Amino acid sequence: MAENNSLRTQKLLVGIFSILLVIILIIVAFVEMKVTRDAKPVIEISGVNKNCVTCHTQKGIAVKAIDHWKQSLHAQQNISCVDCHTAKEGDFDAFYCPESDFLVARHPTPKDCAECHEQQVQEFSASKHAHQFWLIKNTDRSVFEIPIATKNGCEQCHHIGNLWPDQSVGECDACHPKHTFSKAVARQPETCGECHVGSDHPHIEIYLESKHGNIFRAQEKKLDLNYATKNNTPIPIDIPVCTTCHMDGNETQPMTHNVSERLAWESQSAWSFRTVWLEEKIGDWKMKRSRMEAICKSCHSPEFAEMYLLTADFTNLQYNEIRRMFVRWTKKLTENGTIKRLEKDGKFYSDPVLTGWDEVPEIAMYHAWHHEGRRFRHGAMMMGADYTQWHGIWDIQKGMVEMLTWAAEKGDSEAKRWVESTDPIKFAPYALFDIPGNPWGINVLSNTLPYVYNAYPDYWDLIYANVKTVYDHNLLSEKQWQMWEKKYKDKEHYLGYKYNADSVFKYYQDLDSKDTKAFTEQAVELKLPSKPFWIW
Amino acid sequence: MSGKFKSWFLQRFPIDTQKTSTVMEKIFIKEPIPKHMKYWYYALGATPLILFLIMVFTGILLTFYYIPSPAKAYESVVYITEEVSMGFWIRGIHRWGSNLMVIAMFLHMGRVFFTRGYRKPREINWVLGVLMLLVTLTLCFTGYSMIYNQLSYWATTVGTNMIKEIPLIGAPILYLLRGGEDVTANTLTRFFNLHIGFLPTILFILIIVHIIFVRMHGVAKLEDKEDEETYSFYPEHFYHTLIIGLFLLAVLSALTVIMPPGLGEQANPNVTPPHIKPEWYFFAVFSVLKFVPLKLGIYFFTALIIVLTFWPFFDDFIRRKWQVRRIHYWVGSLTIILFLFLTVFEIIVQ
Repeated sequence: MAENNSLRTQKLLVGIFSILLVIILIIVAFVEMKVTRDAKPVIEISGVNKNCVTCHTQKGIAVKAIDHWKQSLHAQQNISCVDCHTAKEGDFDAFYCPESDFLVARHPTPKDCAECHEQQVQEFSASKHAHQFWLIKNTDRSVFEIPIATKNGCEQCHHIGNLWPDQSVGECDACHPKHTFSKAVARQPETCGECHVGSDHPHIEIYLESKHGNIFRAQEKKLDLNYATKNNTPIPIDIPVCTTCHMDGNETQPMTHNVSERLAWESQSAWSFRTVWLEEKIGDWKMKRSRMEAICKSCHSPEFAEMYLLTADFTNLQYNEIRRMFVRWTKKLTENGTIKRLEKDGKFYSDPVLTGWDEVPEIAMYHAWHHEGRRFRHGAMMMGADYTQWHGIWDIQKGMVEMLTWAAEKGDSEAKRWVESTDPIKFAPYALFDIPGNPWGINVLSNTLPYVYNAYPDYWDLIYANVKTVYDHNLLSEKQWQMWEKKYKDKEHYLGYKYNADSVFKYYQDLDSKDTKAFTEQAVELKLPSKPFWIW
Repeated sequence: MSGKFKSWFLQRFPIDTQKTSTVMEKIFIKEPIPKHMKYWYYALGATPLILFLIMVFTGILLTFYYIPSPAKAYESVVYITEEVSMGFWIRGIHRWGSNLMVIAMFLHMGRVFFTRGYRKPREINWVLGVLMLLVTLTLCFTGYSMIYNQLSYWATTVGTNMIKEIPLIGAPILYLLRGGEDVTANTLTRFFNLHIGFLPTILFILIIVHIIFVRMHGVAKLEDKEDEETYSFYPEHFYHTLIIGLFLLAVLSALTVIMPPGLGEQANPNVTPPHIKPEWYFFAVFSVLKFVPLKLGIYFFTALIIVLTFWPFFDDFIRRKWQVRRIHYWVGSLTIILFLFLTVFEIIVQ
């Protein structure tokens, strides 16, 4: 009996503990395995911060800000409320927390961020994001724009370059939203698009129209934008967002918060010019362009990237020639008194070379710069074809027609001659830039189309002289000039003239004539029995 | 085997087939297995062996892609997990296999402990078993460091730090293991070497000796039931083991698919994470070490390991001296309960 009891106890102990060990330890292993997957950080709130969080939570004040902070890398690294909202007596934004005797800073500024992120703040303050926007002719613009609109308009976006009483410049949370300060959100194209949007510089629209933006949308769900591109590491995503080209690093480029480091053109300004912004610090435009090209070449062949950017460079140079024409007319019409400048107490509030709001040529000139002129240029730089074309050059040309028609109506004989002229070349009252071919390939027959190619046998010689001149003026690099010259010398190839694809072209011509026949029958020649309701 | 081939073979390998089959029959086919082994929880001795073989197989596959350098280790584990065909599965089986191997060893040791399978004359085999447990845990520790993420890097740093506390030899051993003062590229290559070469070889030798001992002594019968009936190893127990093996593979595969091991964040020697912790099988030890001075804790566990290793002799001594027959029930039960409690406690605290 004793033996049986002993055996039973043994069996029971072995059985129960086997089951217990298996179940509990597998659950433990499972939980721990899950931890390796979540890697969810533990947030510790300690010291004074505990009081802030408790009180804010109890009173329901900015509770979500605390939730956002808990998602931040700051929270994981135990960087809490008072680390950023720290203040000294006399600070411009210092106030006493009404529930305690803590002195709190209302506006953590870049100076506070620089306590830890010194390099980033320095880079930012050397960028055009930190540019003081109100410097340029804004007294003129403020005539047209009422203050409350400026508050929620200009000032909201340009707050990114805020000059604080503590002498720091910028607003880090313009891109890294409070209080997550997320890298991923800062990289999301829509963050840039909060400001870089709309008729004056539709960058987000241009981006989303481009192949870059299109593929981004297709792959967006798979992308994790919360990465660091430090120390010459490869770009970890396969499609560029805005920051990839303008800020992030790759194998050859360091990451930068200076968005101006890679820009070779001031193409937002009234005249396109090669950048001189802090060139003693960050190099001349060629250096800046080489940085951008180094990023392009992470994905593109050098030939494609260089050819693409060179073509877009000519769009900028062309823009200047168009603007020269607009300014010539507004100046002329102002000088001869047809346009009257806004004036009060001996001070002018419109400028024939920049601003003006109540005369058609002024409006056309302003828009040909500030709206369609930028769309024309930026569409070209960032692969937004529609913005270079229909929202760009077509709107510019429309403005030119309106301006000259207005001048003719006011009796300007030169303008009258232009209006009455039937010469097709009248729409190019400015010098031209061009490049044989395009970055994408050889199009065999399309280059037989442009009017100037056919009407001017010396067209390419004229262009050659213009391009040579801008090269001599250091607006193109040596390498770019060589690339252009190579294309020029072999233009029969790049323009596709020396290739014959007539039989294939004929096939499409036949299809096209079928379309013409179809719409002629279905629409043009269709006669309805009812008469119009309004009789002409 | 066709007659022609058989004679060709036997000419080149003059094996006494008659004698071999007699021996094989004795030590393998007809090996007498006590009847209590028909309960699954009495028959878990083969599970660590099966898991060891799975670990060796998956481990070899992992070395095809794993690169033991700080710059590449984490990336190569990411590559294995995300790019290599079936890589996540192989890695998952290996990781879960290590977890189950530790559990399987606990189960096997528990059974041997409660049935006093270690009793005279099998004490040495228990000692070998404890050695195998220690080697396995070291394999787990070195294996965990291979992934080179934040958690594993810092667990390695803190874990190895403890070696320093051993008097006299601690500091030189630590230096030897790490290949310097800190956990660096040297440590990773040393641990890699230990993990895929030295330790598995030692474990393999221990397993062979352990099995030889089992076969020489025969499977221990239940205490107080020395006249227990037996049955032949083949076919029933053989298939029994095979079924356990297949079951384990199914469980491992299921666990891997339901909860594949993650990757964590790449190791950054400059940023100490706020919470450093070891793998769960060290939780109980970790938990105690948090509450007592490190030196004291290390002496305590060293003493515990010594008692565990030589338990059959302690047990025998206690039984003879104080005439207590059931002491192992109490010691075993309390140890397991305490171990489970501390392990679960550590999880809850986290």
